[in-house]
Amino acid sequence: MTAESVSLEHLTRRVADCPADFLAPPYLGATGVVHVDAVVSDLIYAVTGSRPAAGQLTLFVSANPMADRNRLAIVLLAAWLLADPAFVRDCVPTVEQILSLLGSATAELATTATATRLLGDPDRREELVRFSLAQLSLRPMGESEAQAQDRLTTISSTERQRVIAAARGAEERARAIREQLAQKAAQEAADKWNRE
Amino acid sequence: MEPRVTDPDDTLRYPGLSDHGLAMLRRLSEHPFAPRFNNRSGHRLTSELLTRVRDFEDEVLTSDVGWVPNTLPNWLDAFVTRAYCQVPHYRQYGHQPTRFGEVPTMRRADLTDIARFVPDDLPIDGLIHYSTSGTTGHPLTIASHPVVAASYVAFIKKAFATRGITLTAGRGDVGLMLIGWQHKCFTYVSVTPSMDESGLLKMNLHPVDWRDRADRARYVNDLAPEVISGDPISFEALLDLHVSCRPKALISTSMVLMPALRAALERSFECPVFDFYSLNETGPVAFSSRTVDDHQIVQHRLYVEILDDQDRPCLPGVRGEVTLTGGFNPYMPLLRYRTGDRAELVFHWGTPALRNLSGRPPTVYRTASGDPINNVDVTHVLAPFALSQYTLHQDASGALRFRVRGRHPTEPIRDALYGLFGTANEIKIETDVEFDGKAIQYTRAVQPSGFQIGEASVG
Repeated sequence: MTAESVSLEHLTRRVADCPADFLAPPYLGATGVVHVDAVVSDLIYAVTGSRPAAGQLTLFVSANPMADRNRLAIVLLAAWLLADPAFVRDCVPTVEQILSLLGSATAELATTATATRLLGDPDRREELVRFSLAQLSLRPMGESEAQAQDRLTTISSTERQRVIAAARGAEERARAIREQLAQKAAQEAADKWNRE
Repeated sequence: MEPRVTDPDDTLRYPGLSDHGLAMLRRLSEHPFAPRFNNRSGHRLTSELLTRVRDFEDEVLTSDVGWVPNTLPNWLDAFVTRAYCQVPHYRQYGHQPTRFGEVPTMRRADLTDIARFVPDDLPIDGLIHYSTSGTTGHPLTIASHPVVAASYVAFIKKAFATRGITLTAGRGDVGLMLIGWQHKCFTYVSVTPSMDESGLLKMNLHPVDWRDRADRARYVNDLAPEVISGDPISFEALLDLHVSCRPKALISTSMVLMPALRAALERSFECPVFDFYSLNETGPVAFSSRTVDDHQIVQHRLYVEILDDQDRPCLPGVRGEVTLTGGFNPYMPLLRYRTGDRAELVFHWGTPALRNLSGRPPTVYRTASGDPINNVDVTHVLAPFALSQYTLHQDASGALRFRVRGRHPTEPIRDALYGLFGTANEIKIETDVEFDGKAIQYTRAVQPSGFQIGEASVG
């Protein structure tokens, strides 16, 4: 977090204003609209003036639609954020840095966040912005390195705890549903007027 | 095991059972000509649940399907939003697309963990489930509820109304007789509380469940059900019994109902035959009540798309995969569920219907000269024959093997198939075949040219 970017408010506003083109479903082989690999390639060219090699974009082509849908949707959100010229006004990232942010770092973020929440929840928008800035060694304008790091840790930790609690709650409910369905009465079912 | 109304679980199976309801259960199970009933079932409707069933029935009977070509139903957007918010399976999709056509499609194989389809805000008390072995390699279990099960009758009444039929069975009458023809069949007796505890039973016409074969006709005649529901195999067996009772309507489900069998049933029973397209996943989807290929959509909160292999909507009249969104089972909300069944979407005076409905991807046969023949064409040329169940397989040499349940003259069937395939293809016909449950109706072997085995409607 050695360099300053623009204000946090400017960047969270940009996420909130993400246009429909970047919110369209990522192309997943048979379904979806946006070819994420092409978006990433165009973004890198626009920011750095260089094109990534085709082999560097394989992570942005879905190999598993169910697993990739949310991750690639977050990649599109992050790409929209990075496409703001002010984001990197004083520190142009390298091709590798951008690929790292949109690749492995975003995949990690996708384990605890959905694109929907990163877009619609103010705290999650802030998390996306701070997370992206940190990956490029940037911090919001007006914050010290310590302040930026502390705030990122707090907001990420809070979200992780929420996600863990939600996952635990979901698993408990799923178990309760399975137990209910396993009861004798549930297995006996009820009268229907036709068969299938 | 004979049903005993003294079973302590009966208070859960038949809440609020009256004396005449109890008398009906005894009549059905203790009748001198009754078959063996091997299972227990019930409506499980408390008075509060029964009110919900009646309210839903009123809604069904007063609602239109509500969408026309190039429009989406007005309930659809809220339904999708709720699914994305409340259903764990759909939440993992991420954010809700702005256009309905961008919602991902799903298949039967995606329904492996049904707990993840139950919305977070629904109580799970009273959940029940239905299981099916499936013929596509994906056994299926569906979470449901007694209100959902009891609501099937609303769609049946709606369909019957199109032919001017009103159900009037009440106290002391038998409203519904479900019939099967299986070596092993789940059978039971019950009552329908929304129809003053009229009788309802599911029984097996196979002789294995009867003390005396002749008891079958006696029992059916004495009960005189207002409606009989079954599949083409059990209806063929029923025809052979030459019963004298005259129900108001017959309901055929589960398999393709061939036009000639429908005509034979209508002649014999002097009533309409309603062919329902119904899935465990959704309940009744569509019905036909005349000898035509079109099945009219019956649910008013079910959106039906016909999609190509790339999830693109087919134009009206173009064949594709039947894909469903919505439904009346709140424990199994479906978003763009690809059924594996195929049809064309057509509109009759603004009402959507499915034309040339058949199960599973099409099987493309070849004539001796290599011309393709769709399995739908096979169905059409066999339409004049009253067949309840058959299979057609083409081996790698192009030879055809046709197998059919029951005794049928072989030469007219052979001539019909020759008319389609030409006489250069060898055709072997086997009649009086006993199929082991459901069979894949249309199959084709791998050929040197690389054509694959296909599977079509379950017959």
